[in-house]
Amino acid sequence: MRKSIVLFLLVNLSFGFSVFAQEHVFFTGFFPEVGITKKLKNGNKVNFKIENQEVIFRNSQEQEDRWQFRHYRTDLMAFYDWKVSPLSSLAFGLFYRIQDGTNSYRLIQQFALLDRFRRFRVGHRFRLDQTFTPEESTEYRLRYRLAMDIPLEGDAVDPGERYVVVSTEPIFSLQAGEFGLENRLVLTLGKLISNQQKIEYSVDYRTDGFFQEGFRTRLWAKIGYFYNF
Amino acid sequence: MRKLFLLFLILFYAGNAFAQKKVEQERRIKKQELPESAVDWLHDAFDGKKKVRWYLENSDKGTSYEAKFIWKNKFHSVEFDASGKIQDVEVELTLQELDAVVVKNLQKYFSESYRDYKIQRIQIQYTGEEEDLEDFFDDEKKDGITVRYEIEYLGKPKDGEQLLWEGLFDDQGKLISKREVEIRIMDNLIF
Repeated sequence: MRKSIVLFLLVNLSFGFSVFAQEHVFFTGFFPEVGITKKLKNGNKVNFKIENQEVIFRNSQEQEDRWQFRHYRTDLMAFYDWKVSPLSSLAFGLFYRIQDGTNSYRLIQQFALLDRFRRFRVGHRFRLDQTFTPEESTEYRLRYRLAMDIPLEGDAVDPGERYVVVSTEPIFSLQAGEFGLENRLVLTLGKLISNQQKIEYSVDYRTDGFFQEGFRTRLWAKIGYFYNF
Repeated sequence: MRKLFLLFLILFYAGNAFAQKKVEQERRIKKQELPESAVDWLHDAFDGKKKVRWYLENSDKGTSYEAKFIWKNKFHSVEFDASGKIQDVEVELTLQELDAVVVKNLQKYFSESYRDYKIQRIQIQYTGEEEDLEDFFDDEKKDGITVRYEIEYLGKPKDGEQLLWEGLFDDQGKLISKREVEIRIMDNLIF
């Protein structure tokens, strides 16, 4: 099964590259993130996350615009997560984006559900968000992320062990009457350092602008550090 | 006085066992890393083609080996101790496959103890001496075999929050003990 997942990703990625080589927008870069989660006495959780996106290459016609190391976005977010059952939770989040002078705010509501299987776990995340950017109409989005969490040593991840997460997330958006679709395909190699700490290396491949002028693909090399207490 | 002390001691440990959380650490190993007796027993009791995954498990009960495989369309897990001696065989079943008496008693326990419950997984567990277990799986001889049920379920008590439990029930479906199952951190699947 692992082989078929890898094949699926490779086919997807190569398809993406063949498309961008023509007239589509493509850029790639570095995407570090840090997340901190505090479990409260009542079983609920508080999460803080910082994500930073730096563009390294853009498929611009202008030679001097191609290679760079340019700040693209920094996102700050905070969530309060209510435990509904041991396997599901509801969360509310606040989000602030710093991006080249057009900073924006976002409200997030989500429901997450965990399915446990013998050798892996599947996480479902349903999210609604509303983004407010000055001088723009509010953007409404509906997202669903399906993530498969596969231990690489044994049937469960124990401290010191590695795991793989494969996820796909279609995002439907509506802004000023215009409908948009984006997909995020992420392949992660993670390591549970201890019961508190995790490190994850990911390839995050985003495609959007299917219906608009300018089909766009973005490929990110991610590195994430997560701390729980 | 001594009896009272003993009673307290038993109650203390029993309470402890009740509150115990499941802590296990396992990793996959190769057949070559196992005690030969474990491989031999499995070969004798389940004689036929099967794809076995072997694990080394460290838990609060000590070190053990576990074989996991599908046999006659059912998921089996067989546990051996550190020396390779058979401990138990667990077979995954559905509620419909259990005896009517067992189902009745289980349903009675769940509906009396919880406002709401959901069974996640049922395993029938066979324990006994090496030869008896082998005879049971080879020739279906039931002598010397103890049957129990290990059931993982979500249970919401009449007062309190819903938790994930692993309950051990006797061959009639009556509760022997239970422990809370801890869910591994899932932040990366939530946020």
